[in-house]
Amino acid sequence: MFQEQLDNGLKVFILPKPQFLRTYAVLSTNYGSIDSQFQLPEQGFVEVPPGIAHFLEHKLFEEEEGNAFDRFAQWGASVNAFTSYTQTSYLFSTIEGWQEALSDLINLVNSPYLTTENVEKEKGIIEQELRMYEDHPDHRIHSVLLENLYHVNPVRIDIGGTVESVRAITVEELFNCYETFYQPGNMAMAVVGDVDSEETLGLIRQNYPTWQHRQGSIERLYPDEPAEVVNPWVEEELNISRPRYLLGFKHEPIWQGERLLRQQIVMSLVWRLVAGRSSQFFGDLYARNLVDDSFGASFNSSPQFAYSVVGSETDNPERLHEELRKIISQLQSSPPSSTDIDRLKRRIYGGHLASYDSFEYVANRLITHYFSQTPYYRFLDLVRDVTVDEIQVALNEQLDWKRSTVSVLRPVQT
Amino acid sequence: MNFVQCNLGAGVRLHMCETDKFKSITCKMFIQQDLQSPTATSTALVPFLVRRGSQNFPSTLQIARELEYLYAADFSSDVLKIGERQILEFYFQMVDASLLPQGEQQLERGLRTFWDIATNPAGPGDAFIEDYFTQEKQSLKQELEGLVNEKRAYALFRSMALMCGEEPFGIYKYGDVDTLASLENRSVYHHFNSLWSQYPLDIFLVGTNLDVAANLFGQLVAKRGAIHKLKLPKRVQVPKSRFIEETTDMQQAIVVLGYRTNCSYLDEDYYALLVGNGILGGFPHSKLFMNVREKASLAYYVGSSIEGSKGLLTITAGINGDSRDQTLQIIQEQLDAIQQGDFSDEELEQTKRGLASAMTSMNDHPAGIIDRNLIGIVHEQMRTIDQVTEAIRQVQKEDVVRVMANVALDTTYVLRAPQQEGDSHGAD
Repeated sequence: MFQEQLDNGLKVFILPKPQFLRTYAVLSTNYGSIDSQFQLPEQGFVEVPPGIAHFLEHKLFEEEEGNAFDRFAQWGASVNAFTSYTQTSYLFSTIEGWQEALSDLINLVNSPYLTTENVEKEKGIIEQELRMYEDHPDHRIHSVLLENLYHVNPVRIDIGGTVESVRAITVEELFNCYETFYQPGNMAMAVVGDVDSEETLGLIRQNYPTWQHRQGSIERLYPDEPAEVVNPWVEEELNISRPRYLLGFKHEPIWQGERLLRQQIVMSLVWRLVAGRSSQFFGDLYARNLVDDSFGASFNSSPQFAYSVVGSETDNPERLHEELRKIISQLQSSPPSSTDIDRLKRRIYGGHLASYDSFEYVANRLITHYFSQTPYYRFLDLVRDVTVDEIQVALNEQLDWKRSTVSVLRPVQT
Repeated sequence: MNFVQCNLGAGVRLHMCETDKFKSITCKMFIQQDLQSPTATSTALVPFLVRRGSQNFPSTLQIARELEYLYAADFSSDVLKIGERQILEFYFQMVDASLLPQGEQQLERGLRTFWDIATNPAGPGDAFIEDYFTQEKQSLKQELEGLVNEKRAYALFRSMALMCGEEPFGIYKYGDVDTLASLENRSVYHHFNSLWSQYPLDIFLVGTNLDVAANLFGQLVAKRGAIHKLKLPKRVQVPKSRFIEETTDMQQAIVVLGYRTNCSYLDEDYYALLVGNGILGGFPHSKLFMNVREKASLAYYVGSSIEGSKGLLTITAGINGDSRDQTLQIIQEQLDAIQQGDFSDEELEQTKRGLASAMTSMNDHPAGIIDRNLIGIVHEQMRTIDQVTEAIRQVQKEDVVRVMANVALDTTYVLRAPQQEGDSHGAD
């Protein structure tokens, strides 16, 4: 793996993969849906409508003459983009013409073409995207959970915003966000494929335009989030076949750098013990139809927020909740066996090796860890070093019922 | 990335792609049968049942622990539908032997575990464990009833069930709830054994040390008798196109248009059909994406796809219920344009490149290398990626116009929320 920071501040990662035919490249900004308050040189701190990072992602595909899809299509390349809470990424995958596509990707991100007319036009498209998610039970239950776990942290609002907030977005606001967050010093690029590192780096240097807008450190503001949750239990109805249950724990985002990476490993082990198929509890919950194959858990963290979720489709959300309380309490009082932990570590190790075959996964991981300043190269060492005691501490400190919310979706009563 | 084939017995083919490109070895086994009722539902239970336990690992817990011990080995099973075949799939992947301590032993242990889970379910020998059977019937029932949860998939399911109600293709890949209720443990177990002994079995391997794997499968695959002869879909002519609207509680409306193309995998014009579909709605540069989404702002997703065995073209869009008629009109205009040859050389060229690129990209995914052959094994004519990309390259404008001229609308299906007042038909 090759990495370098260009003079303009852009961080570049290149991972040569001999024998592979595809080239994948991603150009990302350290800017996502939660970055809604920031400082402008003249105006001081401003707050922009929710959903603006995602809106901007849509709009960068617009060009004065036609749109960017056509330029990638001439190489048969597929191009796409996505926005998360903390990051916006533009990517392509191609067999032919990767050098040209690379330069097209850089241009796409560096030549915004925003007019009142084309911004208005996009609102209809995004409204349909948001409505699609509103019909989606997994998305819905997660949104309701975060709205009730967090009081003010912007992670409580959908990445795409709301139909109303999207309607309010203006060209000027889009430009302000663009000029603040798309400066090369706030961005990173990763290229994976059968490419030569020097050639790739040369192409990026040569094609990356001189940044004409704001430069320098970006002051962002995140509101102070109280420790307690908004609502410990919240229910909604949706047109679904059976109830769904999702439990969330709000964690204090205290970890930075290597400690954050280490905590991610520890929490992934914690949730395997609670909700993995290899956990001693799964069989009983499954046999009683309290969980099904959708049962799963995850730890989601960044320097600005951290929370865990665990959930399933279920016949009985209340009963599942009681059982999870018992399971977690049992794990909190008796340490996991080192046999279990060693086996789970083998799983992480094997999964890590195999992950290098997924270009998308590897490239996005490099960038995410760069933005959150977590030293990913230390991953396997940290996995090896994690102790049973640390897992025990995390179980007791992080799974705090006073900081938990349950989100339940029930079938619409007709 | 081509496969070397050998026969391991009547109807059993082993396909091997020896390569050190990947960090894992991947194995998939496919058993094919005709898609028909009531066996479709019995077959659909198999993936649910095998994950519960095998003779050597008699519970989900033991299976999961063994897979973890094997450095995140991955097992799954599912049922697929290719045209009017129902295909039972078993998947196994583990880290390449060269990257593990005692790699070859681990590989053999992994493949034996895979075989055990797939072929040797836990039980008394003439049935599945009764509790497992009861619970998995319930799981499949929930799966079938849960179709309504994902509105886009549900709209596709409903439209195909309605359009092809008189044909085997109208059967859902997981069968139906009524048949499920009538299934009994021993008969499903009997069906499971017949799947392993009387139907075509294709085993695919991608990775290194394949001689170890081949020897092992040679020992494990039992001797078999006669193998069932399977059918291919019959052509259906469209007498008159239908319009069906159903309502359910939802935010968006979804339109699905089902067309008969009169062209499938074995036809000479098949790749022209893929190109025609690509120009219509297969890419972001396609006519549907450009006109329904980018110009008219009516949808976030809109696109078309081909079912190549049955020869169907399907268009799907998620829209606001109020813009149904406008959307249908723009869609019709796009198909008309292609049928009249109203598309540029650039559109043709971009689409051919896009298709060839997508096809070639499969070489970079072990599962992709395998899955692309499914339609080939169903039609008993496997084609290499080079053959396919060459066939795509050869497609000319007149080929596209000719094949697209035969594309006939069968069923327009709309799933939407009930109108505020008045409208009350077809609710559920």
